[in-house]
Amino acid sequence: MFRRRRLSSGGAARGVFIFGFNFPEQSLVKRSLETFYGIGPKVSQSIMARFHIHPWAKVGTLKNSTVLDLTAELSNMKIENDLRREVQENIRRLKDMGSYRGRRHAMGLPVRGQRTRSQITTARKLNKIERGGQGRVQM
Amino acid sequence: MSSSMSLRGLSQLSLDAVSRSAIPTRSLMIAPQASCFSTSAARYANPTMKKKGMGAAPKKGVKSLRITKSNKDAAGSGKRPAPGERKAMRKRIVLSNDNALEVAGLQDLTAENALDASHQGKVRGIPEEAVDALRAVEAFKPRQGWSLFRRPAVLMRKETMELAQIMKKIESSEKSKKESKRIIVYGERMGGKSTLLLQGITMAFLRKWTIINLPEGQDIVNAHTDYAPLPGSQPLQYTQDTYTAGLLSQIVKANQGFLAATKVSAKHDLPLPLSKGATLKQLAELGAANPEAAWPVFVALWTELTQPGRPPILVGVDGLSHIMRESEYLNSNVKPIHAHDLTIVRHFVDLFSGKTALPNGGLVLGVTSGSNSPANSAIELSIAGAEARQSKSALPQWNPYKAIDQRAVECLKNVDVLKVSGISKEEARSIMDYYAESGVLRAQVNEGFVSERWSLAGMGNIGELERATVRLRV
Repeated sequence: MFRRRRLSSGGAARGVFIFGFNFPEQSLVKRSLETFYGIGPKVSQSIMARFHIHPWAKVGTLKNSTVLDLTAELSNMKIENDLRREVQENIRRLKDMGSYRGRRHAMGLPVRGQRTRSQITTARKLNKIERGGQGRVQM
Repeated sequence: MSSSMSLRGLSQLSLDAVSRSAIPTRSLMIAPQASCFSTSAARYANPTMKKKGMGAAPKKGVKSLRITKSNKDAAGSGKRPAPGERKAMRKRIVLSNDNALEVAGLQDLTAENALDASHQGKVRGIPEEAVDALRAVEAFKPRQGWSLFRRPAVLMRKETMELAQIMKKIESSEKSKKESKRIIVYGERMGGKSTLLLQGITMAFLRKWTIINLPEGQDIVNAHTDYAPLPGSQPLQYTQDTYTAGLLSQIVKANQGFLAATKVSAKHDLPLPLSKGATLKQLAELGAANPEAAWPVFVALWTELTQPGRPPILVGVDGLSHIMRESEYLNSNVKPIHAHDLTIVRHFVDLFSGKTALPNGGLVLGVTSGSNSPANSAIELSIAGAEARQSKSALPQWNPYKAIDQRAVECLKNVDVLKVSGISKEEARSIMDYYAESGVLRAQVNEGFVSERWSLAGMGNIGELERATVRLRV
């Protein structure tokens, strides 16, 4: 789908490919997993527990079979652009209906009745039609 | 009126006064100097050269509190330690101090006299080869005061002699029915529990026992090393390959002589080929070099060590309460794995509970820690129970309002205990004489001084005694 296969010639770029992305060998598996949109501490913990990867494991220490398992697991999950698309579609539906929530999203204002006299930076940052950004690979 | 205006007015006045005066006086000479009062230089000064901070504060305020360090600051503050350097520093063990004096009459423990009762209350040196073995099994801890003295020496206290007595009994038991003993060592913080384990290992090494030591219970269960389910185990157990490989290499270092001299006698099912007629050392090194084969190799090595006619075994673990609870590892259902389901811990626990026998005799020591131990009511209960059995009083009741680990209770049901309490005044005198002869204690060691320091140390807690006499100079 949006898999980027970069075949390293002569081992120039050392790293491990998980779900089509390259991670340096010395980076933590947990951190690497959490770089994906839709994977946070809980999900990464459960994925790692399923494949018996200890919490401090580095990407370089994973066996090849484990890396393949991880990639297979991730491709069955709704993460990255699939998840972004879903969230954005939900917001767009609200807007197309002409609902109040849709309008507030479009205006970048709080959606759930918060006061707007002060402190709405989070809403300004997040409440957009294109929520979640464009992604590492363009949607 | 501003100050500059008033100055200008003043200079104007003085110029007027000069022009009006008809008398050519010296004041004429002064007249050009009067222009010093001119403010033109200030008035025509470059308007861009404004003083900083003269304007009003920015409307939105300024960010003056900088919590995060900028990269530039971090780069400028010296060289960062290399990976692993700080940990190496933290775990560094220094066993000698060239500035300390050589103690003249310090006798070493030897193979012949290691278990003698005559050592009671004396300070004895640890021989060189035993020091290497102790270092290999991580029996020395970084917080202990070895770095203060010329070379490692220990006080043979009452509890040490009890342990020596037990070991003597195990050695002298009949060949057909070798005795084995399982003991929890407990007591106050800094009371010398880990040192007692060290003494036990020293004596075992000198008496040519096999030594297997798990230096820190926490390191096994804190999920810092890899783990994998053991295929075919029911209920499911987990192996820790890297840890087991490390343990095997420690076993090789600590038991060089025996392992190198003994050939593999039984047939083992190993994932890697082992040459025919290999020694136990080669077997263990195979596991140490190949972590994926470490657990089968450990099992094979254990089978070899328990063949008839092999020496007794000392198995020790420090930080017992860590391995009597759930570990930090997670199973595939994201539930914590009980420490007893880790193969290494399970192996130790089976020995400790008496489920697996030691056919050649041996000693299993579980040492609790005073400074790093999570609350563990199972251990408390078993200690209370063992104390009651020893003093023939009523067995303690389990407090139903306290969470208790049933598996740990099962394991610790019939275990003996050895309490490490404060040392006696005679023992304190002996160790303080040693301090003084080493030159680290500069005081006259007499009865009054010993009593004072003994009391200051909470009735002879040896760690506190060392702190009160050697480390703390008042």
